[in-house]
Amino acid sequence: MDLTALGAAIAVFTGIGAGIGIGVATAKATDAVARQPEANGKIMTLLITGCALAEATAIYGFIVAIMILFT
Amino acid sequence: MDIKELLREVLLKDKTFIHLPFGDGKYDIYESVVVMWIIMAIILVVLLILTRDFKVHNISKRQAAIESFVVWIRKIIGGSLGEKGERYTDYIVSVLLFLGAANMIGLLGFIPPTMDINVTAALALMSITLVEVAAIREKGPVGWLKGFAKPMAIVLPMNIMELAIRPLSLCMRLFGNIIGATVIMELIKMVLPVVLPVPFCLYFDIFDGLIQAYVFVFLTSLYINEAVE
Repeated sequence: MDLTALGAAIAVFTGIGAGIGIGVATAKATDAVARQPEANGKIMTLLITGCALAEATAIYGFIVAIMILFT
Repeated sequence: MDIKELLREVLLKDKTFIHLPFGDGKYDIYESVVVMWIIMAIILVVLLILTRDFKVHNISKRQAAIESFVVWIRKIIGGSLGEKGERYTDYIVSVLLFLGAANMIGLLGFIPPTMDINVTAALALMSITLVEVAAIREKGPVGWLKGFAKPMAIVLPMNIMELAIRPLSLCMRLFGNIIGATVIMELIKMVLPVVLPVPFCLYFDIFDGLIQAYVFVFLTSLYINEAVE
């Protein structure tokens, strides 16, 4: 039985962590902007950098899935 | 077209662009290298045109704009490098310019060179070499070796592992983002090739590319900042 596709699907589950992380970061950023609207620009850059870093885990899962499928 | 076929075409196609007659294919020039030559040429020409006949007095609007841009970007990068690492600003800015151009070259119809894992691996190796060299220059070889056992002796294996993990994560983050964007774009083009790809193309080629370039240099400068502390 060929289970490579199943393995790749399990690897992509890392996306859950990235989703939760980005969700929490965005919620906190919204809070921060609501409390201090004048710090909007600074919060935005921090949020985008943080999201890009949190996204990395999902990307690792994606790469592992591709590696499982094609090697 | 089947999705699996498409992925295979994107990921496993022959990347050779110029085949050299000697060395049994070992020294072949890849497509990514040729695209990087094109990017280098574009950046060089643009910079030469933009910085032509600068003056001390009665500066033109172009010169004023470029000077304020340079000061701004130096302030951003130098801020994250810290006081001691400020001398590495120029390298970091060069990498930022190159990566920004490389991720956006898809707009001109070329294949982004960062989609080749060799390119991102080379950039990550350059970054980690710079980090360690900066640490050695700041603390001396003995201090650098002692730095592995700080703040406690128990973190020694973690610190040694980080030597490999940091470039690996830098390399994989950039490569995975660009290749993921390409795969998603191909899938969208399969669904509807006319109007739908335009906003996604704007997002992936411009916004995501610039963000990833910034994240790469931001992490490198954070590592340098940590290394020279």
